[in-house]
Amino acid sequence: MAPRLRYYGKKRGDRRTGSHTLGSAADALFYAIFLLIGCGGLAALIVFLVVPEWRVNNEFVECTCTVTDRQIAEKEGDDGKLYRAEIEIEYEVGGVTHVKRTYDSATAWDRPGSYAGDREAAQQILDQFVVGEERVCWYDPADSNKVVLVRGNRWWIWIIFIIPVSFIVIGGGGLIYRLLHWGKSAEYRAAMAQRGADRNGFSRNGRPDRTFPNIPAGADITNSPGTTLAYRLPISASPGWKLFGILLVCLFWNGIVSVFVVIAVSGHLEGKPEWFLDVFLIPFVAVGIGLIFLFLRQFLVTTGIGPTMVEISDHPLAPGGQYRLFVSQTGRLQVNSLVASLVCQEEATYRQGTDTRTETREVCREEVFRREAFDIQRGFPFEADIELTVPHGAMHSFKAEHNEIQWNLIVEGDIAGWPDYSRCFPVIIRPNDGRNEP
Amino acid sequence: MNDRSVTILFDGNGRVYEPGQVLAGEYRLESVDPGSVKSIEVSVLWYTEGKGDEDMAVHEFWQFSADDGDWIDPMRPARFSTTLPNSPLSYDGVILKVRWCVRVRVFYHRGKDLVGQQAFQLGGVPPVEVSTS
Repeated sequence: MAPRLRYYGKKRGDRRTGSHTLGSAADALFYAIFLLIGCGGLAALIVFLVVPEWRVNNEFVECTCTVTDRQIAEKEGDDGKLYRAEIEIEYEVGGVTHVKRTYDSATAWDRPGSYAGDREAAQQILDQFVVGEERVCWYDPADSNKVVLVRGNRWWIWIIFIIPVSFIVIGGGGLIYRLLHWGKSAEYRAAMAQRGADRNGFSRNGRPDRTFPNIPAGADITNSPGTTLAYRLPISASPGWKLFGILLVCLFWNGIVSVFVVIAVSGHLEGKPEWFLDVFLIPFVAVGIGLIFLFLRQFLVTTGIGPTMVEISDHPLAPGGQYRLFVSQTGRLQVNSLVASLVCQEEATYRQGTDTRTETREVCREEVFRREAFDIQRGFPFEADIELTVPHGAMHSFKAEHNEIQWNLIVEGDIAGWPDYSRCFPVIIRPNDGRNEP
Repeated sequence: MNDRSVTILFDGNGRVYEPGQVLAGEYRLESVDPGSVKSIEVSVLWYTEGKGDEDMAVHEFWQFSADDGDWIDPMRPARFSTTLPNSPLSYDGVILKVRWCVRVRVFYHRGKDLVGQQAFQLGGVPPVEVSTS
């Protein structure tokens, strides 16, 4: 018999064979710890920063003092010496004379945060005070030993609040979610999520259409009318944007690598070569050269090969359905082959440790058009009318949070003297409604 | 106590259904003590299997709770019925599979819940043939 509580589990996607109760408890504990840390941090901020500053500004009593000495106090920090300005003053409260070293509220309460690594900043504060001069100070009526020489609000205190508040929001939100779903089955949670989505008029895919659940509506595919057929299909990634993306990656990578290359080359020029750095850099430089090659290739494809247009007679498609397809290719090209295919691929997203990975697998490819050895002249685009038949028994398009089935019309060109290119036009296939049954 | 189980039967012993068709049947609890059941959830749902993390969605959901005054008699079979949706259809792909089932989850006043499920196929999409070449 399986134990009631399993402390470990074998991962199968989101499913685990371990105890669900223990998992929920661990989750709740994790969020509770987050919440506690946030509350503790918030309380500490209020007690140690906000309240003292508020009291200094509103409750401390003004009086006159004499500066008797000044110094920069030092202490050892984790990263070296830390400094703060300390002004020694003499002041009288109720007939009693006090001598104190102070500056602001942090110094008066001797907070660790009163020290900083910037000695010059401390010196600048020191320079504002002259020994023997009279100044205004403010002392605590409840403890006249607490005295400050400056008042005011430090705006950065409120920025620090972001940290504990973030912990409280994440921890509190997670804990409330966990407690609300405590003891609820996965089916119950899914049903409630579904009802919530229906109430809002949006499904998981951001589409209000519940006629075909988990099939993208494809509104962006039919919002552009064609000149020859009903719809002009949008390309999945514009060659221009692809080129821009590759350029950014290329610049980023080679920008960083070039710094180290300059260091390595300088070492050689100065007669102090660093061979370890040279060897270490080889794979990074190779990747950089590869990216440059990729950019040049994409540049040629984008600028040399004209736009590809695909229009279709109807959309969405259905298994067994027959459609007209119009393909147009511009440019001045000597084409070895031009192929159009209807391609289905599965896409699965999964977590592996802390990484999220996506795997795709092509499961169906139907060649719908092929033409070989022809020329395209500038100003005279190649045009082809094609009959497209969606395979009987084809699975419909499908989109869920982690899994997807995509259908694309892919136009691939083999051009003499140019890199091969491939352009992808997504389409939606819906289940057959009986009209196209064989 | 170890013989507790849930039996789910579809009318006419059906296994394959088309979108829009009515899926009806009954479930019965075996070796379950009367009065021990706190609540029962009946779901018609699909879930994914394969390489990706699991997705799941419930098409129809019924909950019967003794605390809410629902009459739960484990000795008598209970019926369910729903009109099946247009999608997603059952699918047997390479790295993704979509499965449909009726799942009955029984919560007891004390102890671990009991789950039984019966798979069925929605639509007639043939399995993807994996090329070995």
